[in-house]
Amino acid sequence: MTGEFAIDGVFVPRVLIEFALAFGVSLLLRRMLRWFRLYRFVWHAGLFDTAVFVVLAWTIAKVGAGIAS
Amino acid sequence: MSPRSNNLTFALANTSAVLGALFIAFALNLERPYWAMFTVFIIARPISGAVRSKGVYRLLGTTGGAAMALFLVPLLVQTPVLLCLTISGWVGFCLYVSLLDRTPRSYIFMLAGYTAAIVAFSVVDRPDAVFATAVARLEEIWLGIVCAAVAHSIFFPNNAATSINKRIERAIEESANWIADTLKQPPARTDARTYQRLARELTDLHLLYTHVAFETSDVPRARRIMQVLQERLSVLPVHLTSVQKALEAQRTRATLCPEVSRRIDTASDLARRIGSTRWASARSLERLSYQIDDIGKELTGPRTLLEQAITSRLVSLLKALAESRILSAALKDPVPQLPIDLQLEVSLSTRRPLHVDHGIALLSACAATASCLVACALWIHLSWPEGGVAAQFAAIGCSLPATLDRPSKVVRAGVLGIVLALPFGALYVFAVFPRIDGFASLAFALLPALFLLSLMQASEKFGGVALVLAVAFSGALALQPTYQADFASFVNANTAEVIGLLIADAMLIAFRTIGPRWNAVRISRQGWRAVSDLASNASPDAESWSLPMFDRLGLVLSRLRDGDRDFAMAAHIDPLRDLRVGFNLATLKRAEIHLSPTNQATLRSVSANVAAIYRRHDDRDVHALSASLDAAIGALTTEPPSAGRRTGLAALTLLQLELAPATPQNLSEETGA
Repeated sequence: MTGEFAIDGVFVPRVLIEFALAFGVSLLLRRMLRWFRLYRFVWHAGLFDTAVFVVLAWTIAKVGAGIAS
Repeated sequence: MSPRSNNLTFALANTSAVLGALFIAFALNLERPYWAMFTVFIIARPISGAVRSKGVYRLLGTTGGAAMALFLVPLLVQTPVLLCLTISGWVGFCLYVSLLDRTPRSYIFMLAGYTAAIVAFSVVDRPDAVFATAVARLEEIWLGIVCAAVAHSIFFPNNAATSINKRIERAIEESANWIADTLKQPPARTDARTYQRLARELTDLHLLYTHVAFETSDVPRARRIMQVLQERLSVLPVHLTSVQKALEAQRTRATLCPEVSRRIDTASDLARRIGSTRWASARSLERLSYQIDDIGKELTGPRTLLEQAITSRLVSLLKALAESRILSAALKDPVPQLPIDLQLEVSLSTRRPLHVDHGIALLSACAATASCLVACALWIHLSWPEGGVAAQFAAIGCSLPATLDRPSKVVRAGVLGIVLALPFGALYVFAVFPRIDGFASLAFALLPALFLLSLMQASEKFGGVALVLAVAFSGALALQPTYQADFASFVNANTAEVIGLLIADAMLIAFRTIGPRWNAVRISRQGWRAVSDLASNASPDAESWSLPMFDRLGLVLSRLRDGDRDFAMAAHIDPLRDLRVGFNLATLKRAEIHLSPTNQATLRSVSANVAAIYRRHDDRDVHALSASLDAAIGALTTEPPSAGRRTGLAALTLLQLELAPATPQNLSEETGA
């Protein structure tokens, strides 16, 4: 689970990369949901977005770990 | 939610964000957890979108500044003088660039400037630590931003759109009632304050709307609709004062014909009705639009040009008001289709700039560079160990309040804040902290102070004070993973902060003391240049022209007191007149295409003369203009009746009223329509 990527001699924690990826994906996803006007069905958008981000980050971490092993 | 419970939830969210940031910082053993702590306070706002946008800007700015320090320090650390010069120059340059942008985005550049100073000046005696310090600063600020953004988006967020919509509704309603009242009365002195309020409100809305892009995802993004709406609201006073002026002129020459006064009464009623339609349903506005067109019907029988101009401006006024209702409804829910012409305008609308002031930006940049250099000179020549802190605070003190008219007042408030927060900080550092043995007890000890500061920050009245106190308090605590209380360094660091701010204060007084009257003249001058550009430019974009002009109107009026009226008259300061002239010029250009080529040439000479007047206020130009206006009005009356002829004549008549009022013979000339 824990590990570091070396980018040009700088060690970047793996969690950071995973979070950055998850954030990018969540931005896209939110834009799509807004485009289809699905936020009408969401009670609390801030909470929903945070939850989506957590789920995405967890998925990416799992998938990443699966590929690495 | 009531304002009180709003404030409580804000304070709750903010306190938990601060404690969360501190907890994570201690758990990860970060170098200076207090940086994360005051970042939370700095970006905390009662509106969730504003927290997130400020967070993003702060992140970008800090990254840029830290990168700059990382680049400069290893290069120049052997030559302290050169390093101080470069960093001070960078602070000034960034401040200059940031002041050219009046939206919240300007924070990026300002922060890039003084973050470089903070990082560079804190590592000059151990340059090998520059990377670690830059990374530490970035990490803590990231942490603070993420905690604040999450807490303020999850705990009962207030989104920007709600308050924007509320304010727009109020602005439209007030404008409508005020139009309804004013149409029936002669112009009053107090009107100027109403225009100022509206101008200020529009500028605020423009700035506030930038946060919507960062709002939680359920808020519709409709920047273009907002732009068109702003344009509609900003022309209301323009048309209204045109009508007022023309009415006044007409009344001094002859009695108003009963048909025109009947139409004015109808217009006043319609305005009140538009104001009271809460949810503008398409059908009710459609019915209204027929009635509006009725007002503009060509007056039958021999009527003066002025009366025709009055009716045509009444129509523009009511149309703008009705359309602002439609647009404000569309802002809440952009999906239902707008009327086709509005839809076209919305999809073609481009970003509008606000008024930009290069002079003030340059002076502020000079003040920042100079105060940074003075602090550095003291630091080097006195071999003062804490001089770096003074230089950092000199840079911060000049940067943060630079957008204000009297920035030194804020700097003095900052000094006061540090002095006031000092005893509390000392109480915590020397009496409470020695007894603390873990995060839980620290959190309990800090809780009352944090909650109180957050609660103060939520209120409009104490917001600024609370921010200063909170940042000063966090700085005084200087929470670090291991407890190190050293009374000497505590006092030294805080003294250096105060000295840095005092240097900033002195430099701001030296560079930025500008009388409000003179400032009004400067801003007006820029408005005149904009008018003459509009007049001489072949294809004007009047839509994007009106927002900066209207912004200037607010800026100028807010700087003139009631006693300055005579001064303003003498200096030709009348931003509302400039707006009217510009608007009539744009109308002329649009009418031009419907006319014959010779008449087009006459209209162009009118525009050229207006441009000349606005370049240099000279009486000879006024004579030339009134001659060309007479010629143009004469030429247009011979044209066959058409829409272009009517709007062109109205615009010419109103231009004559504004700029060459000495020739009344033409105005009473009758048009046999």
